[in-house]
Amino acid sequence: MRSIAWHWRNNPKRELWLAWYATVVFYNIFFIVFFPVTHAQPPPHPGWSDAQVAYWFARSHGGLLAGFAIMFAIAGLTAPQNALIAYSMRRMSVSRAFAYSYLVMYSLSALPGMLLLCVVLSVGALRPGRDPAQLHWLYDFGFLSFTGTMGIFLIGSLVWMLAILLDKNRVMPKWFGYLNLCNALTEVVVAPAWIFRTGVLTWNGLISWWINIAVFGIYTGAFIMQLRNLILREDFGDGPLPSLAEATR
Amino acid sequence: MTANTGKPARAIPGQPDMWVLVLFEALVFTAYFAVYLFHRSAHSELFLRSQARLDPRFGTLNTLLMLTSSLFMLRCVQASRAGAIRAAMTSALITGLLGTAFGVSKITEWIRLVHGGSGFTSNEFFEYYFFLTGIHFLHLLIGFVAIGVIACQLRRRERRSQEVVETCATYWHTVDLLWVLIFSLLTW
Amino acid sequence: MNAQAKRRALIVWLILSAITLAYLPLDSWVDSQGTYRASSVVTTIAILLALVKARFIFREFMQVRNAPTLLGRLTDLWVLMIGAALLGSYFLGLGHVS
Repeated sequence: MRSIAWHWRNNPKRELWLAWYATVVFYNIFFIVFFPVTHAQPPPHPGWSDAQVAYWFARSHGGLLAGFAIMFAIAGLTAPQNALIAYSMRRMSVSRAFAYSYLVMYSLSALPGMLLLCVVLSVGALRPGRDPAQLHWLYDFGFLSFTGTMGIFLIGSLVWMLAILLDKNRVMPKWFGYLNLCNALTEVVVAPAWIFRTGVLTWNGLISWWINIAVFGIYTGAFIMQLRNLILREDFGDGPLPSLAEATR
Repeated sequence: MTANTGKPARAIPGQPDMWVLVLFEALVFTAYFAVYLFHRSAHSELFLRSQARLDPRFGTLNTLLMLTSSLFMLRCVQASRAGAIRAAMTSALITGLLGTAFGVSKITEWIRLVHGGSGFTSNEFFEYYFFLTGIHFLHLLIGFVAIGVIACQLRRRERRSQEVVETCATYWHTVDLLWVLIFSLLTW
Repeated sequence: MNAQAKRRALIVWLILSAITLAYLPLDSWVDSQGTYRASSVVTTIAILLALVKARFIFREFMQVRNAPTLLGRLTDLWVLMIGAALLGSYFLGLGHVS
């Protein structure tokens, strides 16, 4: 306890660590809420009938309301995460425009990329007696907005990639820059979800969801690790960052 | 290449980091191929019938274009390493032209298929066909950016980075590698 | 520029092109046979030929041959994994014929 108190008062990196822990906490809660609590992921099938959709809402009713209530409460945790990533770009030798444009893009992207689904599905779950056709409308709206608006994430990933590849301060390893490209490409793979209601390219399809989520999961794990390494190596200077071995000696 | 021992030192061409992309993308595409093959053998009649609509000459031409572009990309790297910058530029240009020819051929093939009634949503086979060739086309477009970066590097007199040239070359060969696999699976 | 290296690259290109052209008679063979079983032989051959080409591209065009042995082993492993995944999913699918 005393050690934590000392760090809280004296560690110059405390804001960075706070942002990093906020990121980790956010993703853990996100996973628990979206998967076992609300059953919104893996997404249910786009080809269902009105009756099947109504049944899904009824079955997940409590989970949807409770789970998304938690998401609304913690949605603010995306802010420190975006700030930390933008900070990584500020520390780079590239123009500050990279950091700021990423910040703007990703702050806005939380709206269609997460919140809209939460709102829409909560609305659907709020009154159990809703007309199944209405529920189906909300269902389509929610899941399409969640899956289909990946364009912002695509551009954001490319911005971070470009910053990393041009950077001379060795803030992030180049391989992570290339991984951003892989992540950006998965956003394109998701696009056919607007067209298909059956098959592997649907919003819950084997390719557009399952393989995509695997790539996204690897990417997320990688950037959380890289941000941690960044904080450990940070020397608050302007030049190249020391290596992890040097910084943690 | 060392003159004394006659044996070159073993080194990874370009940034080792690029290999992360190469191997990762190969894995992701393999996952796509596995899904395709599984569904294909489960519905083989539909797939074989649809495949018959593809003209194997297009695929063969495309593959030859890709392989030749890779050859010239290798020559570009070899020339650049030896300091023969003009030869390297020429090779890079030819690579770009062959890549463009591939792109034009692909688009022509797509248009022919769509006009023939086989579009993205026509049936399960064409869903995979347009998806795989489409996502590959996207990789091709990124490849053109890589060639552009090589050209920029070659034009510099100072601070030219052989490493960047070779890194971009590695990416281009990956586009070829992925195509070779796609060609064998879609056409046959 | 090393003339030997240039010649080697050209030979590799010729081999790869020859393999590519070798696919064409496969196609007409299927048509003349026209049976379901013939196509799985063709598919298997097509996949194996693709793997051979992939390994050539890795080792010669991407110069893995001159790279540290670890990269060579890694790319060979990749070729094996790709082969296993492709053939595996193909034959698994055959067992799930609907």
